[in-house]
Amino acid sequence: MNINPKIFYQKRINLRLLFILFLIIFTQTSCKQPQKNKSIILASKGKIDSLDPAQANKLLAIQLISSLGDPLYSIDSQGNLEPRLAKGEPIISKDGLTISIPLKENVRFHDGTIFDSYAMAFSLKRFIKIGTLNYIIDGRIRTIETPSKFLIRLKLNRPSSSIKGLLTSINITPVSPSYYSQHETKFLNDNFIGTGPYKLSSYSPEKQVLVPFEDYWDGKANNYGITYISFNTSTSLFSAIKTGQVDVLLSNSIEDGQRLALHRLSKQGLLIESQGPATQIGYIAFRTNSNLLQNKLTREALKFSIDRELISKQVSYGLREPLRSLTPPLLGLKVNPPWPAYNPKLSSSLLKEAGFCNNKKLTIPLTFRSNVPADKLLALTWKEQINRDLSNCLNISLNGVESTTVYKQLGEGAYEAVILGWTGDYPDPYAFLSPLLDCKKIKEDFCEEGEAVIGGTFWANNKLQKALQNSEELLGQERLKELHKVEVLAANGAAILPIWLEKPRAWAQPNLSTPQFDGSGRLLLNKIYKKDE
Amino acid sequence: MNRARALLNYTLTRLALAPIMLWLISSLVFLLLRVAPGDPVDAILGNRADSSARAALREKLGLNVPLVNQYLNYLNGLIHGDLGDSLNNQEPVIQLIAKTLPASLELAFVALIIASIIGIAVGLTGIAKPEGKTDLAGRLFGIGTYALPPFWAAMIFQLFFCVILGWLPVGGRFPPTLMQPQGSGFLIIDSIRTGDLIALQGSIKHLLLPASTLGILLSGVFSRSIRINLEKTLGTNYVEAAKSRGINEYQIIFSHALPNALLPVLTIAGLTIASLIGGALLIEVTFSWPGIALGLQEAISQRDYPMVQGIVVVISSLVVMISLIVDLLIAFIDPRIKY
Repeated sequence: MNINPKIFYQKRINLRLLFILFLIIFTQTSCKQPQKNKSIILASKGKIDSLDPAQANKLLAIQLISSLGDPLYSIDSQGNLEPRLAKGEPIISKDGLTISIPLKENVRFHDGTIFDSYAMAFSLKRFIKIGTLNYIIDGRIRTIETPSKFLIRLKLNRPSSSIKGLLTSINITPVSPSYYSQHETKFLNDNFIGTGPYKLSSYSPEKQVLVPFEDYWDGKANNYGITYISFNTSTSLFSAIKTGQVDVLLSNSIEDGQRLALHRLSKQGLLIESQGPATQIGYIAFRTNSNLLQNKLTREALKFSIDRELISKQVSYGLREPLRSLTPPLLGLKVNPPWPAYNPKLSSSLLKEAGFCNNKKLTIPLTFRSNVPADKLLALTWKEQINRDLSNCLNISLNGVESTTVYKQLGEGAYEAVILGWTGDYPDPYAFLSPLLDCKKIKEDFCEEGEAVIGGTFWANNKLQKALQNSEELLGQERLKELHKVEVLAANGAAILPIWLEKPRAWAQPNLSTPQFDGSGRLLLNKIYKKDE
Repeated sequence: MNRARALLNYTLTRLALAPIMLWLISSLVFLLLRVAPGDPVDAILGNRADSSARAALREKLGLNVPLVNQYLNYLNGLIHGDLGDSLNNQEPVIQLIAKTLPASLELAFVALIIASIIGIAVGLTGIAKPEGKTDLAGRLFGIGTYALPPFWAAMIFQLFFCVILGWLPVGGRFPPTLMQPQGSGFLIIDSIRTGDLIALQGSIKHLLLPASTLGILLSGVFSRSIRINLEKTLGTNYVEAAKSRGINEYQIIFSHALPNALLPVLTIAGLTIASLIGGALLIEVTFSWPGIALGLQEAISQRDYPMVQGIVVVISSLVVMISLIVDLLIAFIDPRIKY
């Protein structure tokens, strides 16, 4: 049956009128411009589920808490310890077992109460008791004493030079004891009462509003506040900064192609780009107790087989720096890199010596975290590079696994070779070396218990272990030399292959000042301002 | 047995089966989550911390308790309406769901309206001249929207309307510079209730693109269903009889044929809205829409067992409820249906 279209369209006139009416109403309300909000809109990837420093274990939460509170110390852009809530350098006793920290006296919390040694002790004890990452204390602190109102004393179980770095950790940011009295043994996720340059005005996991704290001890923030919003995809973040919907974009999660596009926009003057000190490393862990990689010669060969420059160029367009050590450069170890440069000839001869090449190819199953795009690209590029340079001797087979599954199965010895990343819990070489190399129980060259097992290498070395322990009892250059020794021994063991360094980056609209980072790679939100205000 | 009694029996049977179905679903989810490799400790600590620190965190999260006890505690909580606390931030799951569910419902509801309008319009336009150019275009539209991958379509829409034209925001649910109206969690309703036109405009602007994308993608199913059912209905004897009595075409279609053709569409709409509550994941992810599907995806990646279990139970309950309502509605509308 055919229907006369005229009948249809006559009735549409009413609908059209309704639609026009809706448009009029909609555009009329559009004419009422919202009151100009002067706060800076900062976007990043991922939600913030908790603002409790004892709970914070994600980089974004740590970034935000660093604007709402102050740690005892921070690391400046030159890598030096800078007192924040502390009045001066920590005073370490001759036996290295007592650390006294004088505190600033003119500091107030956002609720008006005074920051003192009791508040600091309260926050430290709270973190030790309920902190999600409280393992970073590693049994080093025996007691926390408050000999006077503005002096805190830590008694240690063993000397620990790296504890200075621990004092910069955002996880031990002091919180107001009076406000947190009901939350001494549980988290307070949706509020934060600290001493920082901003107060929290409103909170939801997707959006946090920060307003300047008028009584901040270190001068008022340079802007009218920060509105932090989260997006879920790299594409949304990229689009938001490109179209001017956000003022600042901060993200390590943005994909490398889009990172390059933003970098190019910055070169054209359409955005302002800044980068902080490298805090994250990418590496490959080899399971040394496997039949395949038990032979040190084989691992040595792999050490020479990777062309980091090519990988950096292909995967990140050169934005990730090739790395031949396990610690970021800012952390003091300014010596020759312990890991060797790319040398396919040497790699090939080592593989021949190990009984491979020609008719017998070594096939390495390489696992990457399937939810980390850069890892996949790294794996693919290395595979192709091996095909190009060492196809007679070596082959790589790829296997993508979701990251949580990888972490679960690492310690069970499920992966021969796996691509991983590491960010130190605090800015100190020890926070990079110990979690990757430490071993509590060594048998021959294998680790039976400790971080090396959790990290999937199962590799241990008595000399390295001794050097790592010695470094905790030394200070200054002596300590750095000992830590360098640790790296050299790790490079000789060839159980870990550092690949690249990742620097935090921020992009801002051209009407804003250049974003600045501190030495820990955190964006200094209070330093950003709009040039036209 | 008269019809009303049969309907009552059917309703009671469905209601009695609902708890059994929910128990089966929740038990299955409980089991599958535990079988999946990796637990919340692995998700939180990653490849850091030694075995003692991991064991301490596992104990703190209650994961050291035998699995049977965990299951019994979970069932006990479920019976008492307690979905437990999130392992991620120790907050009650029910509160976390209450915060995200309105966003998903709002998106689903508006998307369904858009899908219905477009679907019915395309279906009707097609049937106005069967096998004509408009009909062909409508049918292609129906197949095309059904076949389009949602994430791809969402990204293309985002690129076009947000980046190139700059008309609509890239993502989120509300303008970041405005204060979100408080109340039910349904931002459009809350904005109207508080008389805040700026907030209303902001909410609509943020909702427009995700809801339209979802609506357009779903409209194909509606348009095809309308077209097929209407074509079938227009060929029935009662329509011919109406025509022979001289009733005009408009009245035949809208008063006689369309209500009958809409019955299967109602079933599709019911199923669609039920699946949308938990299934608009790719749209929620692409547009950073803070809904329950996004929450579920995050909870799975973080192995937040209580959160995943809670969301699945809530979504399942809604699906059961909506399908029951749709069945009853159809039975109420169509006297031919027997139970």
